[in-house]
Amino acid sequence: MTQPATPSLDRWAGGVCPYDAGWRKVMMWWFIVTDGLLFAGFIASYGYARVLAFHWPDQSDVFSLKYIALMTFVLITSSATMASAVRAAADGRRAEALRYVVLTTVGGAVFLGMQAYEWSHLIGEGAKLSSNPWGDASFGAYFFLLTGFHGTHVLTGVIVLTSTAIRLATNRSTKDGVEMAGLYWHFVDLVWVFIFTLFYLL
Amino acid sequence: MQAFRPAVGLSLRGYWITWGVLLVFTVVMLWADTASIPRLAFVVFMIAAMLTKASIIGANFMHLRHERVGIVLTVVVGLLVTATVLFVLIAPDAARIHEMVNRFGPR
Repeated sequence: MTQPATPSLDRWAGGVCPYDAGWRKVMMWWFIVTDGLLFAGFIASYGYARVLAFHWPDQSDVFSLKYIALMTFVLITSSATMASAVRAAADGRRAEALRYVVLTTVGGAVFLGMQAYEWSHLIGEGAKLSSNPWGDASFGAYFFLLTGFHGTHVLTGVIVLTSTAIRLATNRSTKDGVEMAGLYWHFVDLVWVFIFTLFYLL
Repeated sequence: MQAFRPAVGLSLRGYWITWGVLLVFTVVMLWADTASIPRLAFVVFMIAAMLTKASIIGANFMHLRHERVGIVLTVVVGLLVTATVLFVLIAPDAARIHEMVNRFGPR
């Protein structure tokens, strides 16, 4: 007599939970995909303007790349502290998770401060949405659009992280809550990788 | 209540190794920006490094490497293919206008 086949979990079977993840995580991923496509639209539009332009400014004449590299360092480090917070929360080490979330929030705030300084410096040198002293008129528009939209996301992330820290401190946050805040924060870091390369370096 | 796949990821050490790798990539990209590299090679290198960094963040920090294949494909294909199609469809048009202005002068 043959043994009945052992029921196995078919990872492609679909059914009531095809992604094997909770609704919060799936919804966060959908948000990331749609928001990522919004940034993709902006970057494609920037690419169009860049190909069309006759005199795109040399970035090293406009920006201090060391300063932008420092901003990148701050954001990458905050992503590592956020990942550590998610790990600590998943392992039930609440105090450690809180410490890492606070560090991440500080990193986000430092990045925002640095960006505000960069904006004020460039505005002081004559950069506007419609014109700039360095070259093609759309350079200023895309600088403010891309970095401004990304900065708004960083600001939102700092608010979300502050809320997560408060909830962790008052024992109201779950490990899922920290994980969702982490997904959002890493997305903000991910977008910066594209802006840093395509706008500041290329 | 249905139990979902538990959240897994790297160890703390793994996350900080990932951080180090991302920093190394960033430093190499900054070095390439100051080095005398032919333009085409520079652009190809920068885009490859950018996509590698993005993949590392997605796989390790966002835990995509530990998620089910379905969610990975949905996210990666959704983002990458749509973004590529978007750029590939409009960039040639910009190049064509650029060439026309070059040939006939501005309006």
